[in-house]
Amino acid sequence: MRAPLARAALALYPPSWRARYGDEVLALLDDSGGGPAAGASLAWHALPAWIRPPLHDRSDRMRASLATALMSWSMLTGLGLVFAQLTQLQGVNAPGHPELRWAYAVFDVTLAISALVAGLGGLPLWLLMLRRARREQRTRDAVYLLLPVIAPVAYLAALIVTIRLVGSANGVSQGWFGVVTLAGFAAAAAAAAGPGLALRRLQPRGPALRLAATAAGVSAAVMAMAAVAIVAAVTSLNLWARNFAGYHDGTVSGIYLALVVTAATVTTVSAARGTRAALAQP
Amino acid sequence: MSWYTPTGESNVTDRLDRWADPPLLVLASLADEPKHGYAITQDVAETMGVRLSAGTLYAVIARLEARGLIEPLESDDRRRPYRITMAGAEALARQSERMSKVASVARERLGTRLGWAGA
Repeated sequence: MRAPLARAALALYPPSWRARYGDEVLALLDDSGGGPAAGASLAWHALPAWIRPPLHDRSDRMRASLATALMSWSMLTGLGLVFAQLTQLQGVNAPGHPELRWAYAVFDVTLAISALVAGLGGLPLWLLMLRRARREQRTRDAVYLLLPVIAPVAYLAALIVTIRLVGSANGVSQGWFGVVTLAGFAAAAAAAAGPGLALRRLQPRGPALRLAATAAGVSAAVMAMAAVAIVAAVTSLNLWARNFAGYHDGTVSGIYLALVVTAATVTTVSAARGTRAALAQP
Repeated sequence: MSWYTPTGESNVTDRLDRWADPPLLVLASLADEPKHGYAITQDVAETMGVRLSAGTLYAVIARLEARGLIEPLESDDRRRPYRITMAGAEALARQSERMSKVASVARERLGTRLGWAGA
């Protein structure tokens, strides 16, 4: 196989870009011989292709970005709720450092606004797809669309039963806390994956899709502030709250913050791409 | 001082390279007939003296296509040809006109200056 470096560089591009131009680039490499310079050039242009993907099909771009943003937003929300459970709700504080309380407040407010904007902006699209799924008797799509309701309700029911069975006056053990947390992330992933799959299968278009994509952009921007608040709070806690830092070593905090930053970045970039497609001139 | 560089001189020199703006080169290459990627790079290299890399070429093609300045044609093999659209032709014509005016003024004034300097 010729030009292995350039072919490897092609793998750095977004799937939609590769699907559209991949074969053509390979044909060009076959004709021109490729080489390290072609590989370097392709690798150099891969990042802009992720940030500003070509808008050949705006609706397709909005649907793909919405599905990705919804999944990463859910993961970020889950991480935020774990943060709230381990800090705010435990009453962990750092006397003499009011910035920690500000970070808590910013997190609470931004999470609520972000969820509200995402919910209100996505509701018309969700209802539109649900109506179509019912009208065309697409049971599987209707189930996918109902997963954001079914998954959290099932999780909360399972959580209540679990706490009754294994909980004590002090709550649940560390092991059970881990199980409950992982189950929460699984429920959040299922809740987000449902509409994502429905988007791909039902291929909605029009104003409701544009509204959802625009709302996702606003919601993601607000959620990015929540992520900044989490980073500020966790850093403050590790520096100044002995009752927190005594139980949570730096490695765990570091991994947690890396996950938060990754989820926030994916959410912001995906939502921005969807919003750009929504606002682009037809 | 020997290390002194007049303010902005290097930036201005760098910006002069924008005359070889890759989107413009691709549009100019497609102005006469449709071409596929390799044919565009060959044409640009031979007629305009600029070598477009694979990454640059397809970044430009994606951008021009998204803006409706070029469009792909049906093709049975992997070498998909592109042709310039009416919007692309108009954009190229406008830009060529601007460049032509600048080139004309530059040639005229350089001629005067060089003629004076050489006298």
